[in-house]
Amino acid sequence: MIVLLVLLSLLPVLAAFALSRRRRFTAIVGMGLFSLILSAVYLLLHAPDVAVTEAAINAALITFIYIIAIRKTGRLVVVSDEIPGLLYREGEQISGLEQEILSGFARQLGLELVIRFLPVEQVPTALHQGEADIGAGGIISEIDDNKVLKTQGYLPTALYHLSRQTKPHLKQEESAITGFFSDLREEFQAGKTQACTLDLARFVALSRSDLSPYTVRRLDGLFSYIFLIAPARERLHHQFVSYLGKLEEGGELEKLTRRYFS
Amino acid sequence: MRYRRIGLIVYATILVCCFCGLVIAFFSYQEPTRELGAIYLSRAPSETGAANIVSAIYLNYRLYDTLFEILIFSVAVLGVRFYLSDYREKEIVEKIPESQIVRTSADLFFPPIFLIGIYLTLSGHLSPGGGFSGGVVAGTALLLCAVALGANTVGKRFHEPTLRWLEWGVLLVVLSLPLLPIVVGRLPFTALLPPGTMGKVISGGSIPIDNLLIGIRVFIGTWVIIHYFMRHRGEV
Repeated sequence: MIVLLVLLSLLPVLAAFALSRRRRFTAIVGMGLFSLILSAVYLLLHAPDVAVTEAAINAALITFIYIIAIRKTGRLVVVSDEIPGLLYREGEQISGLEQEILSGFARQLGLELVIRFLPVEQVPTALHQGEADIGAGGIISEIDDNKVLKTQGYLPTALYHLSRQTKPHLKQEESAITGFFSDLREEFQAGKTQACTLDLARFVALSRSDLSPYTVRRLDGLFSYIFLIAPARERLHHQFVSYLGKLEEGGELEKLTRRYFS
Repeated sequence: MRYRRIGLIVYATILVCCFCGLVIAFFSYQEPTRELGAIYLSRAPSETGAANIVSAIYLNYRLYDTLFEILIFSVAVLGVRFYLSDYREKEIVEKIPESQIVRTSADLFFPPIFLIGIYLTLSGHLSPGGGFSGGVVAGTALLLCAVALGANTVGKRFHEPTLRWLEWGVLLVVLSLPLLPIVVGRLPFTALLPPGTMGKVISGGSIPIDNLLIGIRVFIGTWVIIHYFMRHRGEV
């Protein structure tokens, strides 16, 4: 009798646990435990047939199907290039300002954050094809792409044009950067690159190496870093914009920025 | 638009009132009867020969309920097959690297779980169990294998056309079972076979046969659900 009462009182606790979890996997584990205890309750109430079925179907099979179902929907896939300060690998871990923002956002939605590194020019393509939800990695507000959704700028930046010739390049498209940033840095150190336009974070990272053969010119205008959201994901876009707005209002964005750039 | 909304509210109120009225009328006219339960309890052992009175009821007196449950399960499996076979994963979800723990425990636990499933199916007329739970337990054993070895590796061991043929053939046999006694000329549902002595392995009339067929059907259905989910939505 006491055992039954204890098990019965555990049921609403587990149900509340499963409902209140932000992380879906934990919620599913809670549900599996719920049905396991429910089957024990059935057994104590002299319904062994029901108990066996409950344990086999709910605790094993349904839990498994839920786990498969959340494998795709439970993830926030971010594609990005590696940028020092914003989003970079540190041994096994990924850190940086954008990582902090994105992981906070993923935690708020109860999703698991997955970051994939891609060359810069492939980031919008990945978003168009629906392979990722968010594009990151020092994307400039002036990006020329009408299909993807853009957030507001979260950090002001500047653009620098570097070129080997005395006359600075006039065509910007030619000097747009492609490929991975680590490759770019190597090419710079080898002196292969003729001209390119860099944002502040990349420029600061490069300026540790020798930039004396290049003429540096700061481009006019106000620029800032933004995130890209995959097309037709208006709801995610809205959620992310309001999340960024809240970070900015609460002063947390400033705190984070100071931690990485000061 | 506004009139329509008012109309809807009036309609809903009338419906709720009618429902409450029916419930009140039902309970005020007749007390819930307990006769049927007493009849089942007194007559089931001698009529069906099953020691487990639950299975005596759901595979004999209420056989139609069980058959339609099986039909619902089959429709669900059909739905999984139909919708997932069109579904192509754009982004292949990467496989979690093989783990020695999972593999060893699959080797260790697959035979006993599978045997428990068979036991539950075959002893449904003697003790708790039956085709439904036994089939699912055996299917869960295959799930363990599929998690450890990969669904496609396990899937290759089955001959797909035979599986499909067996799946629907068994369903047809199960659905035609209640018709047979009528054709043969015995009392409907009570028995294809004589009830036998209660408590013996071979007893309970046609209940063990029903259990076995339902068990096979549920086992194949469970495997199809697991296999299709894993093949089209990515491995676990």
